[in-house]
Amino acid sequence: MIEATELTKNYGNVTAVNRVSFSVTEGELFGLLGPNGSGKTTMIRMLTGQIPPTAGSARVMGIDPVKDPIGARGLVGIIPEQETPPSFLTAEEYLRFVASIRNLDAVDERCDRWFDLLEFQDKRDVLCKDLSRGTRQKLMFAQAFLHEPKLALIDEPLINLDPIMQRTVKDFLKDYVQGGGTVFISTHILEIAEEICDRIGIIHNGRLLHSGPVEDLVATGRHLESFFLDLVRGDAGA
Amino acid sequence: MHSTIFGSLGFALFPAVIAIFAFLGSLTLPIFADVFPFDVIALLMHALFLLMGVMVGSFGLMGREFMNRRFGQASLIAYASRSLPVSERRIFAAFLAKDTVYYILLYVLPFAAGFTAATPFTGLDPLLGLLAFVSLALAFLLGLSAVCFLSTLYTRSVALLAGTAAVLAVAAIAAFRLGAITVSAVLPPYAFFLDPAPEPLALALLLILVPATASVLFVTVDYPDRTRRFKNRLDPLAGRLHGLGSAHFIAKDALDLLRSEGGAGKVIFSFLLPLGLVWICLQVLIRFIPGIDPLVVFAVLLGVISATIYNWLTEFDSFTSYAFLPVEVSEVIDAKLKSYALANLLPLGVLVLAAATSGAAGTFLPALAAFASVSAYTLAVTLYLTGLHPNVMLYHAWVFLRYLLAISPALLLLIFVSIVDPAYAALSLLLVAPAVFLLARGRKKWQAWEMPQF
Repeated sequence: MIEATELTKNYGNVTAVNRVSFSVTEGELFGLLGPNGSGKTTMIRMLTGQIPPTAGSARVMGIDPVKDPIGARGLVGIIPEQETPPSFLTAEEYLRFVASIRNLDAVDERCDRWFDLLEFQDKRDVLCKDLSRGTRQKLMFAQAFLHEPKLALIDEPLINLDPIMQRTVKDFLKDYVQGGGTVFISTHILEIAEEICDRIGIIHNGRLLHSGPVEDLVATGRHLESFFLDLVRGDAGA
Repeated sequence: MHSTIFGSLGFALFPAVIAIFAFLGSLTLPIFADVFPFDVIALLMHALFLLMGVMVGSFGLMGREFMNRRFGQASLIAYASRSLPVSERRIFAAFLAKDTVYYILLYVLPFAAGFTAATPFTGLDPLLGLLAFVSLALAFLLGLSAVCFLSTLYTRSVALLAGTAAVLAVAAIAAFRLGAITVSAVLPPYAFFLDPAPEPLALALLLILVPATASVLFVTVDYPDRTRRFKNRLDPLAGRLHGLGSAHFIAKDALDLLRSEGGAGKVIFSFLLPLGLVWICLQVLIRFIPGIDPLVVFAVLLGVISATIYNWLTEFDSFTSYAFLPVEVSEVIDAKLKSYALANLLPLGVLVLAAATSGAAGTFLPALAAFASVSAYTLAVTLYLTGLHPNVMLYHAWVFLRYLLAISPALLLLIFVSIVDPAYAALSLLLVAPAVFLLARGRKKWQAWEMPQF
């Protein structure tokens, strides 16, 4: 579903992502882990054609996101970390707005499904600017899955969600993957990755330091946290 | 914030651009002395800074708009009165003082400096530069404090504002018609510039300090605590706009405008009030410049001011808001252009009203051409230079310089030819071609734009 080859992104003199290669197969939940500023968001933005890579290439669901960014973004669902829904639309209007961009039918049913699943039916007519951060995150989640994509790319999936909703989202993502969907998440919260990811990549200073199945790590008896810290601190000291 | 975005030099050079323009403009004073006497130019400059004060005030100081939008959701400063022992009144006063210093340093001082630097070449007394600094600052503050006062009334009661505005307008018109008041009396900073005596200075200070103090004392803040709920209006509105294409984007722009803080106040303060001021100035100007057609000149200026509607339309949007959706940047821009065209029905209505009430219907067609062309051209320049961020990007010195260079010559030329014959204002249609070119270039330019984000 995702194939990244030697992806590199420079912002002036700063190399945000440095020759990173990896792949994500269908039905997999892949977690890209890294400290703040390690290049995770840049990676998602390159994979979804929001920014072009300086070097290297990628294919997302068979599409080159540089050549056809709209095609790529049309197929996948994306939850950016920093964006919030428009202030002066209600939650329902925002989903309808996204539905119009994606040319979706049966919009009423799609909206109802997500308001029910994420338990915010009572907020559907509230202006987005008046929603709590957690509810806004639910809304961003709903917009990403409104068109039932086969691949979702999520930047910090559980940010701002309360423990109950975190459980709901984790369960949804597991079900989604078991149903054939594919998920790429980037996060610095290791517990999420340890609990729900099939495979992880660890990125630091733009370089991919490790990539492999979570179960391999578990088999060694090591916790992800100690493995992650050793790897990142070792890289920082190198 | 601006220096962080543009780099220190990009922002620091902004006043230099103002100074250079003031210097170059001042050099032309002797050339046009026969057409524009010095005191008329001085009046125009004072009116310009008064207008600037009105626009700065209306943009930032509209009670709820002031606290909620400008600081409230943008930063935590406005909420300091909740979390820190600072009163709302004190915060309001502090921001008023900050805006005063900021804009005087950013606009008035460099303008006066440019004017002073030109005095050796214009034969004017260099001390006039110092006098201009004081009087233009007073004119700016007069506009700022007046709008502060009116906006405080607005937040207390819309009826109170409407009543006050109506009484002031009727009194002003009646006094003008009866010849009971002069321009100098209405604009004491200008009177002070012409005759630096204590009386006009005292009057100017009185007219600044009393409304400003009242607005600080009676400021009221309605924090956005309440949760606002609306039935789905996006789809019905988009349905009505279906024929235009990009209907959901246009409907979203409309809802942004209708539901954002300020509402009708935004239109009154940042659009209709400055336009009223422009119209009054033109009525004064025609006494000094024979041959000038106020409707045509008004239409030209209306076109420029109408471009600020684009600032409203982009206030709540950025390209990154759409970057994760299957939408081209150019599609967002196209939708903004359509929203802009629809919103221009408001200034068009103002132009029709001005033509109907002024008895200048004879020059309506060239005025209409001038308004439409200048509005389109100014929008195109703004879009090309600033994308969806005119409120921020125009403070970049280089961007602002290019903006001025692109707009000013065209406007001046248009006004000059319209003085020769108002019908020549139809030549403004020539601006449509560069407008189309710039819009096409702008779409490509901002399509390729990317913002660093790790």
